[in-house]
Amino acid sequence: MNDFLFTQILTELEDAVGRENCSVKEIDKVTHSVDYFWLSRMWADRGRKMPQADFIVSPKDARETSKVVKIANYYKIPVTVWGGGGGTQGGAIPLCGGILLDTKRMNEIYEVNTQSLYIECGAGAIYKHIEWAANEKGYATMHYPSSLTCSTVGGFLAHRGIGVVSTKYGKIDDMVLQMEVVLPNGDIINTSPAPKHAAGPDLNQIFIGSEGTLGIITKAQIRIYEQPEARRFRGFLFKDMSSAFQASREILQKFKPSVMRLYDEAETSTLIKKIVGVEKPGAFMNVAYEGVKELVDVEEKILLNTFNKYGAEDLGSEYGEKWWKEKITFFYPGNMMDLPQMFGTMDTIAPYDKIEKIYWAMKKAVETNFPQARFIAHFSHWYEWGCMIYDRFIIDGKDVPKDPAEAMRLHNAIWTLGVRTAIANGGVVNDHHGVGMKLGRLMKEQYGPAMQVFEGLKKSLDPNGILNPFKLGL
Amino acid sequence: MNITEKAKNIIDNCRFCWMCRHVCPIGNATGQERNTARARALSASLVVRGASALKEIADNVYECTLCGACTNNCVTGWDPKVFIQELKTEIVLNGETPAYITALLEKYQKTGNVYGQEACKCLDELYNTDSETLLFVGQNALYKSPESVKNAVALLNKAGVKVSLTKEQDSGAALWFLTGRTQETQDAAKKCAAAMNKYKTVIVYDPADLSLIRHEYKEWGIEITAETVGFNEYLLSLTESGKINVKKSENEYTLQDNYAYARELDDCETGRKLIEKAGVNKEMLLIGKEANAAGQAIMAEYMPDVMTQVAKDRWKNAENMGCRTLVTESPAEYVALKATAPQGYRVISVEEMLLENL
Repeated sequence: MNDFLFTQILTELEDAVGRENCSVKEIDKVTHSVDYFWLSRMWADRGRKMPQADFIVSPKDARETSKVVKIANYYKIPVTVWGGGGGTQGGAIPLCGGILLDTKRMNEIYEVNTQSLYIECGAGAIYKHIEWAANEKGYATMHYPSSLTCSTVGGFLAHRGIGVVSTKYGKIDDMVLQMEVVLPNGDIINTSPAPKHAAGPDLNQIFIGSEGTLGIITKAQIRIYEQPEARRFRGFLFKDMSSAFQASREILQKFKPSVMRLYDEAETSTLIKKIVGVEKPGAFMNVAYEGVKELVDVEEKILLNTFNKYGAEDLGSEYGEKWWKEKITFFYPGNMMDLPQMFGTMDTIAPYDKIEKIYWAMKKAVETNFPQARFIAHFSHWYEWGCMIYDRFIIDGKDVPKDPAEAMRLHNAIWTLGVRTAIANGGVVNDHHGVGMKLGRLMKEQYGPAMQVFEGLKKSLDPNGILNPFKLGL
Repeated sequence: MNITEKAKNIIDNCRFCWMCRHVCPIGNATGQERNTARARALSASLVVRGASALKEIADNVYECTLCGACTNNCVTGWDPKVFIQELKTEIVLNGETPAYITALLEKYQKTGNVYGQEACKCLDELYNTDSETLLFVGQNALYKSPESVKNAVALLNKAGVKVSLTKEQDSGAALWFLTGRTQETQDAAKKCAAAMNKYKTVIVYDPADLSLIRHEYKEWGIEITAETVGFNEYLLSLTESGKINVKKSENEYTLQDNYAYARELDDCETGRKLIEKAGVNKEMLLIGKEANAAGQAIMAEYMPDVMTQVAKDRWKNAENMGCRTLVTESPAEYVALKATAPQGYRVISVEEMLLENL
């Protein structure tokens, strides 16, 4: 783009959001070019610059967002939406330059509604901040992912995120009532005033998980919950994962714990040993159950009886409480895998009749084809019909190619193989981190001709293809 | 870039970690991605790797309050303040100082303080050097909140404590904040230490000065032979010995924990004990070591709008919990909160709280 046209667009964007909220400074370009995606981090670590946006804009509301999108449509320049930048899939990276739209000025908490139990807030609000707002009134959001403190409401909605108490309270798509969305043509729309209706398909569910490719979420009503009267933890050690699956499936026919986390033997003997202190071999499982005290008493009895039937060793409440206290500690530098290691989380989800098969197939595929990789996993979001695997590969720094292009080649090969194996055995491309640029190429393999539904939506809503290009396979 | 291995190590550990984003008062006020510890570390890491220039990150380095909320929030113990301060020194020594910082340094050279102000004439009658106890009020109080100085002296007088008060109130805190550990900062600190050492006891009014004296002076090998005591701590001893006779009232007070007291000096209790003596302690969210900063006097000079928003954000915490009277422990936060108090809410200093309950 020539300087003259660049400056013209800049002045129009400044008019839309205010000069102080539109930046072309290097510091803003750099900090919006690297997200939590391993490849972007590796690239920066090697002293290479990631693709940068030309303009960084921070609108304060849907109206300003609309103006930005209209400018982008007129000049046909890309718009990439950035919430907290804590995504692992490269979804927020401005691959094609253009405009990067940071949502964090849309952080107003408009209302804490204790009658209908929701918070209405801007999509740029940090989730921890709405948790604080709920806490101030005696409530809680019950959405506690490891990225709680760093990611935005819009970010969680855009990639369909999930927190650690999901088994009882649900995923982010269960926690939203209504949303305000700016369409690629600049129109501002609201989804239906309440979910769970029969007035056609649920508009919320079209935009949730769309990763900024179909519209920009600018406001949302997020559910809040009464604080539980009692929250108890129980740690168990299973001799193998099969018995843990059977026990857990049976429990979920009886009641819903809030936390259910089963660690494979490899993760039990590494991370769980280090952070929680469980020394014994086996598959560690932490279960939390909460709510009205009398019900919790009953649930505890059912839990102990059921797990005992499947040979689980009851480790008491100590490890579970320690885990709860340290649930985010796992992800701090020094505890989490970090460069120069190569690593990735290939979370997927499947019904119970397939989930264990997927685990073993992925483990075998990754460890056989890439002997330099270790494979560890835990299972942490459970339903009556199935659960999620949070499986990770780790390669030590000495085995990671020094050349960044070669490192990318190895990284992508492992991902392609791992996710293809999951799909081939009945899994899905991803469970709760999203697709981004990392897995876009595998979306067509997952969906086949069904992909035309997404493509049709994209073409209809965003004919110029300005919103978040090369993400979600769109 | 000439920074220590310790700073480089912190940079490399912070550059991809977002865990403390939610506690940065500046990031929360601006909504800007660059106002995070990770953004500062990431951009610095690229300078270390030769992929970016020092001047590109200079402004962002000066957008940090050094309040330590990020440090306190880090369960693995990384301290972004370390590399921020080293970067400032590097920026100054390499001639990349932003113009607005240079302007403050020029004021300092000309007037002895970064505010470029004369001390308020209203304090003239208070100066004396007769006592063995020095009340070191610091430059923030002297130039930005002279009423605080008057109230502090008035309260001490009521307790029968005679203190010396001088116009020499430069601990080096301003130069430390603006330039890091430069020779000039250490020279100012040495000069201050020499002045303090003429006294038997030094009561340090501003926790920013107290923190510098307790930590950096020690690290720089600057010896203070006088006994130094924080103002809050001194007041508490006076109330406990009965020299200040505070009558407990029904008034509700909420402590605005000063971040230097809470995080650098590890004291979240003294202010609360003083409140308990004067009235009823009513807490808001984000207190103690997790307290939100409400002001930083020097930053208010070069980014006033953002610092106004920082103070307003803190008032939101008070409003949400119905805390109508905030009690401050530092002059910078006193001034910032006073200028932004919502209708029906008020801010008073610790000494004002005690004075209204004698």
